[in-house]
Amino acid sequence: MPVLGKKFRPPEAFDQAINGYYQLLPSRFVRLDGKRYLLSNDVGEFLVVGRGQLADYIQKKVPKGSDFYHDLKSKCFLVDGDSNVALDLLALKYRTKARRISQFTALHIFVVSLRCDYTCRYCQVSRQTDDKHAFDMSEATADKALGLVFKSPSPTIKIEFQGGEPLLNFSLIRYIVANATAENIRHKKNLQFVITTNLSLLTDEMLSFCSSHGIFLSTSLDGPEQLHNANRPRPGMDGHKLTVEGIKKAQTALGRDKIGALMTTTEKSLPAARAIIDAYLENGLDSIFLRPLSPYGFAVKTRQAYKYDVDRWFEFYKEGLDYILEINRQGHRFVELYTELVVNKLLSPFSTGYVDLQSPSGAGISAIVYNYDGDVYASDEARMLAEMGDKAFRLGNVHDDGYEDIMLSDTLLDMLESTLSESIPMCTDCGFLPYCGTDPVYHHATQGDMVGNKALSGFCGKNMKIFRHVVLLLEDDPEARETLLGWVRP
Amino acid sequence: MGTETAVTFDANVFSLETVKRALYRCSDQSQFDITSEGGAITVTFSAIDPDGLADKIRNEVLDQDLRDTLSKETANVRTLILANAFSDTGLIR
Repeated sequence: MPVLGKKFRPPEAFDQAINGYYQLLPSRFVRLDGKRYLLSNDVGEFLVVGRGQLADYIQKKVPKGSDFYHDLKSKCFLVDGDSNVALDLLALKYRTKARRISQFTALHIFVVSLRCDYTCRYCQVSRQTDDKHAFDMSEATADKALGLVFKSPSPTIKIEFQGGEPLLNFSLIRYIVANATAENIRHKKNLQFVITTNLSLLTDEMLSFCSSHGIFLSTSLDGPEQLHNANRPRPGMDGHKLTVEGIKKAQTALGRDKIGALMTTTEKSLPAARAIIDAYLENGLDSIFLRPLSPYGFAVKTRQAYKYDVDRWFEFYKEGLDYILEINRQGHRFVELYTELVVNKLLSPFSTGYVDLQSPSGAGISAIVYNYDGDVYASDEARMLAEMGDKAFRLGNVHDDGYEDIMLSDTLLDMLESTLSESIPMCTDCGFLPYCGTDPVYHHATQGDMVGNKALSGFCGKNMKIFRHVVLLLEDDPEARETLLGWVRP
Repeated sequence: MGTETAVTFDANVFSLETVKRALYRCSDQSQFDITSEGGAITVTFSAIDPDGLADKIRNEVLDQDLRDTLSKETANVRTLILANAFSDTGLIR
């Protein structure tokens, strides 16, 4: 184009001049399928792009006036001479995402008893029979643990009672709730309580106590009667009946929003995704968490955790999610909780607080566990491992160690340093990094070190498959996208 | 354990670091020997489906090469953004 002799050049001349002169901003990418990639930046903005677009972007060949250029610019993947506001925006969004780190620890798990009335083969905690009071937490231990709870900077404190079966030591639950509530008058935290229970020992008196203290119940429902009882045997084989009765009683006494259920996938569950979801619908539950087995506790001793691989579990998950999306299309809101987490990770600027999907890992800083004997662990999985004899993630004991000793212990600090995904091989340049995390206990249990080789990791394999599936649903299936967008929390 | 296969890359086009990073991503499928000699980087491995794995390695090396460009070019600005995120010093103003 001849420009000499002309006073003004046409606008296109300026567009051409700037091509090749935009500056790349930090980003990563990961292959989604044979043709497409997910391009993401540190704050979780993402674009789905073709191989050619990806190469053009990195080689700075994207024409300035193109839609793709505007997409890249508006999502802070590049900065040009017109504006460098992207740098400030990225810093602000990064700070928002990292905010949770300064507000540790929100979830405090009290293992009030290891005793249990069930004999589940997959139980991830080595249970004790119900006549051994030596496996109950004492009031003295609870007092010490409560002293640590309120030292957490987190403005929200959730105390979760776990077991074994925590209702076997309900008097201690009453004691902790009363003392925590009294203590909180001074601290003014947003204090919540959850009891994780099989519901078989639930009485009207307990429900009345839960109702008056706003206590949430979380239970296990593995599906229809035959499957539930096979997975979760109870002497008398009446586990399903008691669970379903308990759910109904709790819904009536506390409200439907105060009781939720989780399921664990065994080999027997794999062909029954739809039947399991139907069981949840029949019992008036609004969500399900399609969970794989973890390689801890009795799941390892009885070899349950090795009976199926990630690929088989993923097929189960996919079938279940397809069915759930179909249910939503028919007008019934029903949520798969892990997918909800992933969608929120992808589309919301706020942290979900989910322990496994954080960098550094949320172990210790999102959740912490006080075992019945006063030992403190970095996560529920860490105490499951301890029950197998491996105390690698024991942070201290409430009777011997102060808050600073526990939170500044080498065990916790080493773990946090090792679980910064930004410095982990393969994670460091993975496009899913802003949404993912790492599980040091899983990798310690399966590969013998906290970081692990992610190419061999079931944790990485599972999450990569789920992320790919959810992103492609958002891209390719408008009806699924509409449902999934409805799961994003404001 | 399958057929032994070699894949060669021009060292003037791809760095040894790029090839190593790409192979790490394939480490669930085989073990790899790497040699660098006379301007060529040669990767040797055994696999049940050697052609399939060779294709995967070539694609991974191409991806990794782009990643390396991206990472090197944005390293300084990433540091700047993080510094700005965690300070009130107005470093980029």
